[in-house]
Amino acid sequence: MTATTAMLKAEGKLLARNPGVMIWTAILPVAASIVLAAIPGVREPSEAMGGLSFFQVYQPILVLFAITLLALQALPDVLTRYREMGVLKRLRTTPVSPALLLFAQLVLVLAVSVGCMLLMVVVPALVGATWPKNLAGFAISYLLAAWALLGVGMVIASLFRNAKVAAGFGSMLFFVMQFFAGLWIQRPVMPDWMRNISDFTPSGAAAQALTDTSAGHWPRLLHVVVLIVWGVAATTFAVRRFSWE
Amino acid sequence: MSMIDVRDLRKVYGGRKVVDGVSFSVEEGEIFGILGPNGAGKTTTVECIGGLRTRDGGSISVAGMDPALEGTAFREALGIQLQESRLPDKQTVEEALTLYSSFYSRPRDWRELLERLGLVEQRRTYFGKLSGGQKQRLSVALALIGNPRVAILDELTTGLDPAARREVWKLLEDLKGTGVTLLLVSHFMEEAERLCDRVVVIDRGRVIAADTPEGLAAGVSADQRMSFAPSAPVAAGVLEALPDVHTVSTGADRIVVTGTDNVASAVIIALHERGIAATRLRVDQPSLDDAFVALTGEDHGSAQHSGTDRKGASA
Repeated sequence: MTATTAMLKAEGKLLARNPGVMIWTAILPVAASIVLAAIPGVREPSEAMGGLSFFQVYQPILVLFAITLLALQALPDVLTRYREMGVLKRLRTTPVSPALLLFAQLVLVLAVSVGCMLLMVVVPALVGATWPKNLAGFAISYLLAAWALLGVGMVIASLFRNAKVAAGFGSMLFFVMQFFAGLWIQRPVMPDWMRNISDFTPSGAAAQALTDTSAGHWPRLLHVVVLIVWGVAATTFAVRRFSWE
Repeated sequence: MSMIDVRDLRKVYGGRKVVDGVSFSVEEGEIFGILGPNGAGKTTTVECIGGLRTRDGGSISVAGMDPALEGTAFREALGIQLQESRLPDKQTVEEALTLYSSFYSRPRDWRELLERLGLVEQRRTYFGKLSGGQKQRLSVALALIGNPRVAILDELTTGLDPAARREVWKLLEDLKGTGVTLLLVSHFMEEAERLCDRVVVIDRGRVIAADTPEGLAAGVSADQRMSFAPSAPVAAGVLEALPDVHTVSTGADRIVVTGTDNVASAVIIALHERGIAATRLRVDQPSLDDAFVALTGEDHGSAQHSGTDRKGASA
């Protein structure tokens, strides 16, 4: 067994034995999107939302809600607690690279969040909501969003040594991200200047890309580029910065 | 060539010289002890040797490699058991061993290690449910899993109860002769006396003594100390007259005599000639504890010593 598969297996087992964080993280957005989809009025197109239905505007936001929570809270939580417990220090005495643990966590959290996303797309579709019209575009947008947000989560894990501080910072950033994704003021009704800022945040770009693909278009180049830049910058920084000590 | 060679090692933290010119070398297959009071610079020294800290001066070679370069070959050759390093609570013994053995190119068979460490019955037990002694033994197992040539064990038995401590010592005694070189950090003299071939004592960042545990103990205090209850009163001056005797003090029912290595036999013969038996006889060899206290002084290193440990301080 190679070190990579062994690490994935070991971390996977630990995740399965401590499912609490992941379940509580995922349950609210998943439940919310299913409940929303079950209400007929929410599925009707609305002029105020630029011709989209309330569900179509909110589905991407809820999908992002789940992955942002997982990326900014669950991921740094595991890694900073490992650091506090000395697990990282012990790993440092071995020939493996720190990047291996980051990679294993990244894969596992991504798997959980893809699972959530599928629940949030498939179950509403089964109860009568619309499927994303451009499925391939939706999937690509989702993966780019996941890369950018998980990258930001890894940056948090590499910056803070204390699990509580990391959790606090993660929560704050979560609300900022949700704001720009349009949880409180939906992107179509944001003032222009606010939407312009939102375009350059990972969550804002991701929300628009998911909305566009959900409506059958391709994501705009701007949003794709913004997500890729965040993904590259955050992962590079985290891998360089994340040390055993 | 030595397995570990440390020359003039220096490490400064915020202007304070934590390690100030430490030198020693360890031969292949030796169990080598680094002793010293808390805060003496022991852990910093082994962390430099283990490549976990960068040194500010001097040279270190471990199995012919420089720890500062910290390559994969170095990590393969060296196993480290660190103070206060835990595993996730819900990882089983077997999972931890399988995971860590996957990191090395020529790992030891972890089943054999489990047996040797007496953890066979715990192989499916979560780390969080192990006893202190079992956790420490697992920690030793993880330091040895990569089949290293050198293993560093830092404060291995601190916080263990006496029975668990003996379990771990037994394990290390069993490892003697398997060819692995062990570097043991301790402030626990009984441990060093029992396990180590040679020791250095570090205090305030410097090596203040280097010898075998017996040599160190013998070197510090030449006086042996004996005490007994005489079966009949001993006339004043009888014992004092013996050339091997240095001091005599008579208590309520016991007499305490100090003197040369031969003091015990000289006193017993002299008493015997007068028809007196020495009952409840006790002879104390100067121990490593005595040596340690004499070397490092009274004012520190005391926190970890029990009352009986300190008895030798005044001798």
